[in-house]
Amino acid sequence: MRKFPKCLNRTAVPDLPVPCKQARVTASFSASQQAELLPGLFGEAGPLGQAAWSAPTVRSGWIQGLRSLAQHPSALPFLADCGTLDTIFSLQGDSSLFVASAAGQLLVHILGLSLQGPAEGPPSPQACDWPVCAQKIVGHIEGSLRSMATPQVTQALNVLTTTFGHCHGPWMQVLWERLSPLVACLLQEDPLPAAHSLVDLLLSVARSPVLSSSDCGLWETLAQTLRRLSPAQAGPLALGILKLQDCPQALRAQAFGVLLQPLACVLTAADQAPGPPGLPEGTTGDSVTVDTLLSSKSACAGLLCQTLAHLELLQPLPQRPSPWPQAPLLGAAVTILRFCNGSAAPASDVGGRLCAILAGCVRVQRAALDFLGALAQETGPQELVTQVSAVLLEYLRSPDSSPTVLKKAFQATLRWLLSSPRAPGCCDLDPDTQLFLRELLPVLRKRLCSPCWEVRDSGLEFLTQVTRHWGGQAGFRHALLASEVPELAEQLLRDPESYVRASAVTAVGQLSSQGLHATAASPEQLGGQKESLLAELLHVLSTDSEGFPRRAAMQVFTEWLRDRHADVAEDTERFVARVLQAASRDLDWEVRAQGLELALVFLAQTLGQPSARCPYAVAAPQATPPGPLAQALRALSRVRLFEFAFRALFDCDRPVAQKSCDLLLFLRAQATPSGGLQEAEGSPDVVPVEAALQRWRAGEQGEPLGDLEPEAVLAVLRSLDLEGLRGALAESSDHVEKSPQSLLQDMLATVGVRGENQADCY
Amino acid sequence: MPEIRVTPLGAGQDVGRSCILVSIGGKNVMLDCGMHMGFNDDRRFPDFSYITRNGRLTDFLDCVIISHFHLDHCGALPYFSEMVGYDGPIYMTHPTQAICPILLEDYRKIAVDKKGEANFFTSQMIKDCMKKVVAVHLHQTVQVDDELEIKAYYAGHVLGAAMFQIKVGSESVVYTGDYNMTPDRHLGAAWIDKCRPNLLITESTYATTIRDSKRCRERDFLKKVHETVERGGKVLIPVFALGRAQELCILLETFWERVNLKAPIYFSTGLTEKANHYYKLFITWTNQKIRKTFVQRNMFEFKHIKAFDRAFADNPGPMVVFATPGMLHAGQSLQIFRKWAGNEKNMVIMPGYCVQGTVGHKILSGQRKLEMEGRQVLEVKMQVEYMSFSAHADAKGIMQLVGQAEPESVLLVHGEAKKMEFLKQKIEQEFRLLPSAKKPRLLHGTLIMKDSSFQLVSSEQALKELGLAEHQLRFTCRVHLHDSRKEQETAARVYSHLKSVLKDHCVQHLPDGSVTVESILIQAAAHSEDPGTKVLLVSWTYQDEELGSYLTSLLKKGLPQAPS
Repeated sequence: MRKFPKCLNRTAVPDLPVPCKQARVTASFSASQQAELLPGLFGEAGPLGQAAWSAPTVRSGWIQGLRSLAQHPSALPFLADCGTLDTIFSLQGDSSLFVASAAGQLLVHILGLSLQGPAEGPPSPQACDWPVCAQKIVGHIEGSLRSMATPQVTQALNVLTTTFGHCHGPWMQVLWERLSPLVACLLQEDPLPAAHSLVDLLLSVARSPVLSSSDCGLWETLAQTLRRLSPAQAGPLALGILKLQDCPQALRAQAFGVLLQPLACVLTAADQAPGPPGLPEGTTGDSVTVDTLLSSKSACAGLLCQTLAHLELLQPLPQRPSPWPQAPLLGAAVTILRFCNGSAAPASDVGGRLCAILAGCVRVQRAALDFLGALAQETGPQELVTQVSAVLLEYLRSPDSSPTVLKKAFQATLRWLLSSPRAPGCCDLDPDTQLFLRELLPVLRKRLCSPCWEVRDSGLEFLTQVTRHWGGQAGFRHALLASEVPELAEQLLRDPESYVRASAVTAVGQLSSQGLHATAASPEQLGGQKESLLAELLHVLSTDSEGFPRRAAMQVFTEWLRDRHADVAEDTERFVARVLQAASRDLDWEVRAQGLELALVFLAQTLGQPSARCPYAVAAPQATPPGPLAQALRALSRVRLFEFAFRALFDCDRPVAQKSCDLLLFLRAQATPSGGLQEAEGSPDVVPVEAALQRWRAGEQGEPLGDLEPEAVLAVLRSLDLEGLRGALAESSDHVEKSPQSLLQDMLATVGVRGENQADCY
Repeated sequence: MPEIRVTPLGAGQDVGRSCILVSIGGKNVMLDCGMHMGFNDDRRFPDFSYITRNGRLTDFLDCVIISHFHLDHCGALPYFSEMVGYDGPIYMTHPTQAICPILLEDYRKIAVDKKGEANFFTSQMIKDCMKKVVAVHLHQTVQVDDELEIKAYYAGHVLGAAMFQIKVGSESVVYTGDYNMTPDRHLGAAWIDKCRPNLLITESTYATTIRDSKRCRERDFLKKVHETVERGGKVLIPVFALGRAQELCILLETFWERVNLKAPIYFSTGLTEKANHYYKLFITWTNQKIRKTFVQRNMFEFKHIKAFDRAFADNPGPMVVFATPGMLHAGQSLQIFRKWAGNEKNMVIMPGYCVQGTVGHKILSGQRKLEMEGRQVLEVKMQVEYMSFSAHADAKGIMQLVGQAEPESVLLVHGEAKKMEFLKQKIEQEFRLLPSAKKPRLLHGTLIMKDSSFQLVSSEQALKELGLAEHQLRFTCRVHLHDSRKEQETAARVYSHLKSVLKDHCVQHLPDGSVTVESILIQAAAHSEDPGTKVLLVSWTYQDEELGSYLTSLLKKGLPQAPS
């Protein structure tokens, strides 16, 4: 039987031939070479002619084997001599995308390895002085770049892009000097082959630290490419150039002009003015861009969406062009949104045609709303901000808005609301925002009653966010309480859709935290109603048939406990006991894990909070004095926290056990830094606790134990190897599956019974 | 010849990670977005870098279509839409839309639970992804934009599975997803009209297989379960929450009823309720038999199958437990397996394939001593059985579908290369794919004469051309009731009676006094001779024939006495 090396590194390749995996093993390289195993595996006489080669997993395994082999510089001569490189070249065009992609990456790796070589300094510009592997690969790339076949050009460009992205040796400059004339030649061809790949390559080269400092030729090539590409192709290149740290100002201006062209066209079409004010000089909307926008609906939508997305990405970057044309950009976004919903009345012919093309175009609406939201980082002229508010309200109100558009409209509105200025000299909202809110809340109320769950859910998410930020603002509180929105949110706790119920739980929890819960306004009902929300959320936790609302309820409870919410503070112990009881029975492990989170907060509050930043930091615990400690431990026992945590320690779901382990470690460190308690009170009776632990470890459930003696619990805690358990749990269950022993067993068992039944899992 | 480009990003010549990119008439459509259960690394999801190279995803792709809820067809969707960045529309049928998030959530929880993966999609991402979904009805033509339209056809396989026709101008492609041409216990057979696409992309999982009867496999399964239970053993059936679990539940429920067995059957996940709710909700997607019996008894309201509690595993005596996940690699099913593995009286039945490395895979390949976490060794003495219930079309079924759709070309995916080669030859032999002009065609329509020439047009068009009004055929029946009250009161009594009996149907009392149940109309009238009798006029369309007959027989039995 073949002997398996210890460090066998397995990835999940079910059908990978054993020898390919073996090649990964460092120690076995020399042995394999001596045994002439390598030519049989990776040479021309290798598996190419065998039937197994037709399986993509085998080809993929072959490449992975080679990749491991190519960790050794001594493997390079072998790769060059045995025809292996030719096979890799052909695999670049493999029918399996994974194989093709891996072949390209392997070439990059071999090229890097061979050019890094033993020689110091950059290699000679003369190719004949280069290692044979590098000569062959570069020769192949040159041949491909000269080829008329687009797939080959693309493959060569992709290999070069990855090379310049990953390798940073001084030899990169030599390589670029050699290949750049061929790349420049591509720009002369009509049509331009592999435009996307060419853009990727040029940007990769421009980003490379070895090259970008002073290469005038490169900047000229970039400028030339910008001129040569169509508006849609030029966008990604323009964005890439603007993201570069060091780049000539003229090129940046050219790139920004390219990016702004489509929006300039829109603004010109809307105003019938020759050049939109505020845009950089010369950005007037050229005829090529106008033609593209008017050529078809999909071309127009494509170009506008791309432009808006690129500008959205550029907007927050420190290297974005300065001055940033905030006002015209806001104007363009608003205009596009108006073209799309038919509320614009452009005077020009182009404007009219654009209006017809964009009417009801959901794709452009989504992109424009995203962009508008991003522009909220900065303000603009008041007149434009008013227009922004108006257009957002139009979209939120419109019965034609699709759920995805409404979601984006809510998100953009939130961003504008949160960025709105405060009134001078006061911490409340400014009058314009208050006015906007008064118009917005009835719309929100309507959307919370939408027949689409997506819309109700987006509305609730919006409500939660806005309340979190503005819960303390008097103007907001007043408007919200007068709007019936809190009542509706509470009604949605009983929504048929579980996602909505979960969002309603979060929203109502947030409202209550801020004292904005629906019933908080009527003081005469205060006592009874306050109890009712807590009871209602407990009801959700114990009875909802789905995990999401129960998880949301646990999160709300944890927040409430952390913030010492009034309802919780009334009788914290009772609250914690009820929540833990409900969580312990839950089938969803995430609810149980949340229960442990809540238990940890309670633990920290009860035992004191030695290091609030990291509750699991057990290294430097501060002892709680024995008297209060005993009281605190009794409280933990009363809420059944010990039992909850011990049961969780043997939970069948790993994250729960892991969390419980952390919690118990924290408890042990907090409660027994010096072991004072146990010594003071003699030896506790640990037998019932240990018996229960045995049962839970065996997976039995059993009856609840009742109050446990804290001393006994601490004694048991000290006897447990919690650190060892934590280590085992942290390893993830994969470590067993991935062990060499497991792999070997699987391989042996699989021989002869190759899976005819793979499809049966689906 | 139109240019249609197809790039399989996954499941080209293998099974798992289905994701096929189709470019047709300048539109780019992604068909399915699945994951591969056998990989933990990059290869778990399709190679999206192939498309991200072409710029922003949302700009490049016009839409994504998901054929059904199995994870190898939708498992990468939240990753694709929320992490890679696709922001466009996603189309799927209503049942798939309802069930997909449950399975994605299940998958996420198992991945996080088992491996502690932190960089995985979250529940919030699944929800945000589902918000981008547009649900479609069967045979509904959906305009994705001005040029691109799609249409769904019934595919069998699992609840809500659909084949999709993608059409741009006169060019069209049909993508089958997974389908089944023979009806099973709860689903019907796939069907498509003679749409003659330029290209049919069909799965070919069982390209060379003519499958034995599923009935035999089912009998075998029941026999094994029965024998184990009879000798006092426990049976563990690891399943995924939806799909096969429901099929096996129906099987056991019916058998338990017939043989009058008393051993308890449990379903462990807490998902039963929701899963069965969806099967009830989408009853129109199930097969004819279930739809027919639905009025009397809902097949998904199980009498013998109860929710499982963790404490039950220790109970003495026989029992059958369905537990998730299906490959025994984590969670509840693994916990129960550990408890029961040491007893030779017990049995575990694996109703599906298990990927390498999982406990399921190990026991199926015959390993009897398993190294578990914490260096424990578990000795497996219980019996281990594998049963295949996979519902794919076999070679005969694939040929049948090709015959139905009459495509110009066929592209085989989702199968093994060698088997595809064999099937390719079979298809070429049998159909000798000819240019469409030379093919014999079967046409449906109404022949009319207009401007001295014959035209074959659709029946709607014919009505329009001839200026005729459409007539509806309705069955009618009179039911006599002894009731001396006024007609309105009789109608109100009929309404409350039907409302209490037909809980799953839409029963309405209209302002004009008539009562409707679906298309069935019931009106109460006075008897011309006997004032103590009322006549109920019942009428219904042929689509509701079953329900109409049932209602008539129900009303003939009379109304319950009104409370005094």
